Amino acid sequence: MITEQGRILELLLSGRFICQVSDEDAWRFLKTSGNTDKIETQLNVLNRTLASAAEGEVFYAAYQTLAEPERKVLGSQFQEISTNLLPLVEWLLLVQQAGGSDVPVTQGSALRLNELQSSIEDTPAFAEQLEKISRYRLFGSTSTHLEGQLKQVFKRLTDLGYLLKPNQDKQIYLGTGKIEYLYEVIRFIDETEALSLAEQAEQSVQQGNLL
Amino acid sequence: MNQNLHQAGVKLLNALSRHSELIMQVYLSGTLQESKYSPKVIESLVKQGILWRPEAEAELRLKNAVRNLLESSLQDERNRQVDANIGSALASLKTLAQHYKEALEHGRFAESEAHLSDLTEHVYGLTESLANNVRVLFSRINNEFGYVSSIDAKIRENELAQGQVSDLLKQLELFRFDELSTVAGSHRELRHLLVVALQQCFSRVTQELAIVQARLLELLGRFREFRGRTRLLKGFVLHMEQKPDFAPGNYYNLTQVTMLFNVADKMIKPAAVDVNRVEHEQELQQIVGSIKSLHRANKGYQPERAAQQIHVEQQSSVEFAEDLLKNAVEDYFCRVIDSGKRITALDYYQENKLEFDPEAWIYQVIGGYQGLTSEEQAYFAIETSGEPHPIYNGNFIIRDVELGLR
Repeated sequence: MITEQGRILELLLSGRFICQVSDEDAWRFLKTSGNTDKIETQLNVLNRTLASAAEGEVFYAAYQTLAEPERKVLGSQFQEISTNLLPLVEWLLLVQQAGGSDVPVTQGSALRLNELQSSIEDTPAFAEQLEKISRYRLFGSTSTHLEGQLKQVFKRLTDLGYLLKPNQDKQIYLGTGKIEYLYEVIRFIDETEALSLAEQAEQSVQQGNLL
Repeated sequence: MNQNLHQAGVKLLNALSRHSELIMQVYLSGTLQESKYSPKVIESLVKQGILWRPEAEAELRLKNAVRNLLESSLQDERNRQVDANIGSALASLKTLAQHYKEALEHGRFAESEAHLSDLTEHVYGLTESLANNVRVLFSRINNEFGYVSSIDAKIRENELAQGQVSDLLKQLELFRFDELSTVAGSHRELRHLLVVALQQCFSRVTQELAIVQARLLELLGRFREFRGRTRLLKGFVLHMEQKPDFAPGNYYNLTQVTMLFNVADKMIKPAAVDVNRVEHEQELQQIVGSIKSLHRANKGYQPERAAQQIHVEQQSSVEFAEDLLKNAVEDYFCRVIDSGKRITALDYYQENKLEFDPEAWIYQVIGGYQGLTSEEQAYFAIETSGEPHPIYNGNFIIRDVELGLR
């Protein structure tokens, strides 16, 4: 029998993001300060350290010291993140707009595939957007049908850990903490590159109003 | 007078129930579609003060009192109006209390009774309207301003609600319980109404308003967070549209890599089997036992097993020969019947110069005899001639058969 601590260690070492949605027990365990120390010492043996993002909503394993091989891994990972950023952001916006409530997708958001599908079917602009998104290499859909595209996108996102399907029989997905992580990545890039993305968006809205 | 009032009230309520369809249509759509209902009905409703025309050219609308009644009874969340005119309500309470005291002093008990019931009505009306206002605010918070769709609208609604809460709180400050208790003096009924009932209501409402205010602030924070996120996403898409070749700098090569991009690679792989562990023996055996041995080696393409076309042809020549033999046997039987003599099969064979194999011929004759029904068999006598096998005991070799009539 594996202990709770061992189970969490295994999750972390297999590159998982632990949040309240994906694994509440593990998340609560890590939230307790005494437990984090125990996990931390064990991770340190393997040159890992416990990292958290989005104000302690997500935990994952990071490297403790970075030498050449570690940097290489991070480099390829970063390449992947930055190429996947645009498809993911476009998908987030599509779901937000098609959802009808104008609420961004966050950790714990419930996405009902059927509702989303009918809303996208009714609006040709959404359908076009979905088609474009599903063609990105990240999702790699070759389907010509809207349903196939949507399912493929959601399947890939579940594989990547952004979504969770609590009940295998129902087409309802939950957003995980990795989505929060994604927001933080965008925010970080926004700040470091001084892109002032929010201002750009606001300006374009105002200009749209003028037009 | 009282009787008249009663009758008029009943008449009004009857009118409301009789034309409930029409009233609900006006309530939900705002104005009346005059073409759908008869002018007579509309006119009577206007007369009774249920419908009214704000301007000469405008469409008919529901009177505010009726609308309020429906909103508060149906707990309709669209009702956003918070009516907070506590100052004037309090002033009227004080006036009524003065009337009551004066009437008592002069011994006009019937009049004082009327004033007291009026006062009671006003006090409870005030407490009810306060409770109603708080309820309206709560119901809007509870579904997070679900009646408007965009985040910006939600933020505006939230700001409106916050303004209403602070208005209500300001109005509540007008409650001066010391003044009210002086007004009530030592009259038991007045003290109960003006001090006890109002104080209870006051403390409940202030408590609830504090909660409402906290919830509103929390919601506003969340909405702002949502708006921030949406703008971030939209801004990113815009930025990528304007500069499609944008790529973030290589943060992973800095001396101090931010923890955000420091995600360790996965390293755990499944463990392997240790066959020398005694405690695992049972499980391993079970696993081995559940392995199915399949002897279906991949043999590749086998042309002889492939589906082939089957040619169905009539095998006429074989049937023909058999028929010939059968006909010959029948002729032989007929010959026996016609001649009435005993004829051996081989004699007949030679006589007619038949071309079959003699052995097959004899077989066919025996078969032909056996093939007859028992009734027909009874007409014939069949005798075999031959000798026992010299070596194998009990075997009899038939050289010929002789057929005759019985």
